[in-house]
Amino acid sequence: MPIRFEKVSHVYSDGSPFTYAALKEIDLEIAEGKLTAIIGATGSGKSTLVQHLNALLLPSNGKVEVLDRIISSDEKPTKLKSLRKDVGLVFQFPEYQLFEETILKDVAFGPKNFEFTEEEANAKAKKALAMVNIDPSYYEKSPLDLSGGQKRRVAIAGILAMDPKIIVLDEPTAGLDPQGAKAMMELFKELNTKYGKTIIIVSHDMEHVFNYCDDVVVLEHGSVRCHLSVDQFFKDSKWCEELHIIPPFVIQAKQMLKAKGIEIMADVKTVDDLAYEIAKKVKN
Amino acid sequence: MGSFTLGKYLPLNSCIHKLDPRAKIIAMLIVLIAIFLPAGWLGYGLIALCVVSLIFLAKLSLKFVLKAMKPMMFMMVFLLVVNIFVIKTGFVIVSLGSFAIYSDAFIQTLYIVVRLVLMIMITTALTATTKPLDLTLGIEDLLKPFARFKVPSHEIAMLISIALRFIPDLIEETQRIMKAQTSRGVDLKEGKLKEKIMAILSLIVPLFVSAFQRAEDLANAMEARGYAPGAARTRYKVLKMERNDYILLAASGALVIALIILSIL
Repeated sequence: MPIRFEKVSHVYSDGSPFTYAALKEIDLEIAEGKLTAIIGATGSGKSTLVQHLNALLLPSNGKVEVLDRIISSDEKPTKLKSLRKDVGLVFQFPEYQLFEETILKDVAFGPKNFEFTEEEANAKAKKALAMVNIDPSYYEKSPLDLSGGQKRRVAIAGILAMDPKIIVLDEPTAGLDPQGAKAMMELFKELNTKYGKTIIIVSHDMEHVFNYCDDVVVLEHGSVRCHLSVDQFFKDSKWCEELHIIPPFVIQAKQMLKAKGIEIMADVKTVDDLAYEIAKKVKN
Repeated sequence: MGSFTLGKYLPLNSCIHKLDPRAKIIAMLIVLIAIFLPAGWLGYGLIALCVVSLIFLAKLSLKFVLKAMKPMMFMMVFLLVVNIFVIKTGFVIVSLGSFAIYSDAFIQTLYIVVRLVLMIMITTALTATTKPLDLTLGIEDLLKPFARFKVPSHEIAMLISIALRFIPDLIEETQRIMKAQTSRGVDLKEGKLKEKIMAILSLIVPLFVSAFQRAEDLANAMEARGYAPGAARTRYKVLKMERNDYILLAASGALVIALIILSIL
């Protein structure tokens, strides 16, 4: 069952001089089992939008349907807490949420809040830590002693340990080194393909969107500008131009080749594939 | 943060906003003194009239100012309860066996509540119309004469301005961490005592970590730009008293004199 936004508006500080409409009548359907990217300039409403998914924010108007639950302004969402278990939300710079004495305890904190026993929570925590490549030798260390990238991974494990059906990540790779960012995106792809999780990522990195995501939602001034598959989105160069986005490297290369009269029709994602296609063209 | 208005600056365009912060601080202090003069209800009526017209002049809505009282509600109720038990003068209103509630308990509480409300109104009128930075500039200037008594006016002002500067950041940070932990199943409103303690801990530890981190970053950034507390420095913004500032001072002076006369009579 898809996630459905119906005429969702969100207004901050309504009725004060600081009033600000972050979302304006959003209609959006995010498919289940897919890896969807949400992009848009700063202040376009991305973070506000994703916070509706686990009812941290309630819409000022309209309603959101997530996993058989309805989130709207007037009715308190039924089974709110179980919704938070099923929709794991990872904030920007999640490393700031670490607080326990040991890494294992911190990761087990989420499952324990959702009525799992100590042993179950620990088992889930260990599984989640293994997913993010944190070695068991770290389990008893303080999370505050880790490096930035490790902290980030532990914090994400803290959400994964709750075993959510939908995982929402707000700029999960911000501030990570390229290798760390790549490993992170590969993890999300694996969670999506291997474990069938629905994943929604807020991102600024077009390479990541292009290489790892299925669909892309573009927000602009609190409205949905377009919602396309990633391939469609990058195939038509008009989107990148209109939205002032620098396309991914492979797409840029394809466009340059096209300008020189070499058109590559196949959907290529990696530099290797592109090289292969070019070689094929040249041979002919 | 939406409902928290105590001490918040409102960027409006009014004649009160344009006043010199020094004049506003002194006027506020004078009004505070006036509030504490035992001038009776007539006196309070007079102060209330002045304060309300000030708020009106500053284009603030009464709703905004009244919202600032919210955090004080608890204190007012607490005062009433204490007074009911302590004060045994005036006439008896209700008596339950050996225990009786006297009229003075209510009158005394009302006095204190009126004073508190007036104090909050006047301080809100100051903070809502003066940028925090201007406020500290004003404080620094007003403390300058005390330098000969070794009062570090600049350092005090710098401390206050840094503290004020970080309040919104810390509120934002708190909300962010709260949301992050709520996403991990923390329930800050319900749950057993042990769960509640855990919930608060999950909020406070990250908050402290980031506050110390910020403090360190700020200290480094200030040092990197050659900040030295005692050094002579020029100012970007130079305060200047104008006609309206003197009018405000004269008005508040007149108010306090009126109150003194009222309390002597």
